[in-house]
Amino acid sequence: MKGEIVLEAKGINKYFFSPEKTQVLKEVTFQISKGEFVSVVGKSGCGKSTLLYILSTMDTDYEGALFIDREEMNTKSQKYHSKIRNEKIGFVFQFHYLLNEFSVLENVMIPGLKLGKYSREELEHRAMEKLKIFGMQGHALKKANQLSGGEKQRVAITRALINDPLIIMGDEPSGNLDKKNGDIVFSIFKELTQEFHQTLLIVTHDQDFAAATDRIIEMEDGRIIRQ
Amino acid sequence: MKISLTLEIAKSLMLARLKQTTVAAVGVTFSLTMFVALLGFMNGLNTMLDGLILNRTPHIRFYNEVKPNPNQPIDQSEEFGDYYNIIRSIKPSASRISIHNNEAIVKTLQEDPRVLGVAPKISAQVFYNVGTINITGVINGIDVEAEADLFFFQDYVTAGNYIDLKNTANSIILGKGAADRMMAEIGDVIQATTAQGNRIQLKVVGYYQSGLGDLDNVQSYASIATTQKMLGETASYITDVQVKLKDLALAPSMAREYRDVFGIDADDIQTVNAQFETGTRIRTLISYAVGITLLIVSGFGIYNILNMMIYEKMDTIAILKAIGFSGRDVNNIFIAIALTIGFVGGGAGLILGFLAGLGIERIPFETEALPTIKTFPVDFNPKYYLIGGVFGLVTTYFAGYFPARKASSVDPVDIIRGK
Ligand SMILES: Nc1ncnc2c1ncn2[C@@H]1O[C@H](COP(=O)(O)OP(=O)(O)OP(=O)(O)O)[C@@H](O)[C@H]1O
Ligand SMILES: [Mg+2]
Repeated sequence: MKGEIVLEAKGINKYFFSPEKTQVLKEVTFQISKGEFVSVVGKSGCGKSTLLYILSTMDTDYEGALFIDREEMNTKSQKYHSKIRNEKIGFVFQFHYLLNEFSVLENVMIPGLKLGKYSREELEHRAMEKLKIFGMQGHALKKANQLSGGEKQRVAITRALINDPLIIMGDEPSGNLDKKNGDIVFSIFKELTQEFHQTLLIVTHDQDFAAATDRIIEMEDGRIIRQ
Repeated sequence: MKISLTLEIAKSLMLARLKQTTVAAVGVTFSLTMFVALLGFMNGLNTMLDGLILNRTPHIRFYNEVKPNPNQPIDQSEEFGDYYNIIRSIKPSASRISIHNNEAIVKTLQEDPRVLGVAPKISAQVFYNVGTINITGVINGIDVEAEADLFFFQDYVTAGNYIDLKNTANSIILGKGAADRMMAEIGDVIQATTAQGNRIQLKVVGYYQSGLGDLDNVQSYASIATTQKMLGETASYITDVQVKLKDLALAPSMAREYRDVFGIDADDIQTVNAQFETGTRIRTLISYAVGITLLIVSGFGIYNILNMMIYEKMDTIAILKAIGFSGRDVNNIFIAIALTIGFVGGGAGLILGFLAGLGIERIPFETEALPTIKTFPVDFNPKYYLIGGVFGLVTTYFAGYFPARKASSVDPVDIIRGK
């Protein structure tokens, strides 16, 4: 069920200049089609996170071309990148990164409020629906810092989903969780691809996790060696 | 981005750091309280002190000055008229200090729409005879009602009723200092001698106290008719015509205008009392300087607290950016925080400042010199509240500006990687 291409990287090179000039990404080129569940693996330090920050438009300091939804990103403004992140990309971090000042429900709703596509009432309803999928509806009114690590990660994934993004990116989303919670997160992703045809790009160290995805992109020393 | 979302996030950030936010707001409150209380008090004092002189000073005074005739006989002669004549030691001629045709002058002035009112007056040099001693003094013959209407005469009559001056024949209201020297009680009859040698008995019906000691030692008041009789002059004898204008600023130009029309001397209030305006201006300037300094100091407080908040909330800023908030959105959030602090703190400051003003206004302030003042004067002009409010918001805006700019330029990748 290969669909249209939602994300494309063409010849991406990335350098860091401190302490000295080092190239951490070398001619990275690949495509992701709609509905694919792709994992990125590779040794520590090979440039996976760096790549993900570029793909998510948060890092714009690179050479090469990035297309999201067939739209070229390099020439666009920061403001436009923000809009793309809000509308088309859901990001899940290794550390749970919720807004501790807000309740679980508000955390999930904020990207939606920012997008402004739905009214507050509709958004609340949608957020609750999505929290329900992950069995988190009972925690909706807790403050974010009152949750366990696994719960936080489920909320973070819910938040990434609220605007029905084109693609969800994750940087070792289960890396900081125990086996049981890691499995829960993995099964959530699986469910998202199978039932909702959600496109996923997940960086992982977990061989079992990677093996169960549709496609593995393997990196070494800043290059893609297999995909 | 919707304002409601900006405000919601700003609110949550402030509530998460309620204590610091409150401290910042209290700083603004304090400085604005001081600002309006100080300016209100200063200007209340200014108005009072100026009023001390200005209330009782005519805006324009017409009079005949005792001076040599500028048109000397030699200039009028046909033979020497075209020469440049130098005459030494000219003396004033038998001068008329009375204003000629004053009824017409008064009438013309009263018909001028710029004029609020006209009060004729006679100044007469006298000696008060106390036993064998003579005390010099000046008796002002006044139109009692006009004087009360235009120059608040009644406010300065501290004992007795001012209107008795009009209703009682041969009455006098003595300057407090003069009365003390003569040990004259109300109801007593005193004797005065005019410069021309006429003697007259006058009944004391009140004391006059202006607050300026020098004045109260010499000045006394009688009605115009009494003074004319005392001087042995006719009912048309007037030495001064005092004019009060609707707009004080017109005084110099009108004085010039009428000086030529009437051919008599005219002094305007600005020329006579220039020093008062200078004093007022400097006092106002100082209070503004102090007030604005306070505001700027509180601005630094806000700056500090916002900076601290931004360091603590780096994660939050990074997440907000990762989920699609632009630099501008983040900037707006922190500006909103600064302005909220300014708005709430400033609003409270203005209210407290007003209350402080009410408080100061109740503090008793009684002095011999200022008979009409019982408590400290405070000026509640809305202008000061407006200026204070606007300055408060402007300072908080700038205090928030730099921290907000810093927040907006946070690179989320740095923060997320740094974890
Ligand atoms: N800001 C930076 N300045 C200089 N070098 C950097 C910077 N950020 C990352 N690097 C280097 O770039 C390389 C790639 O880092 P990256 O974080 O992408 O690795 P990774 O594949 O995600 O590793 P891990 O699996 O441990 O998370 C590393 O060698 C790292 O030291
Ligand atoms: Mg990494």
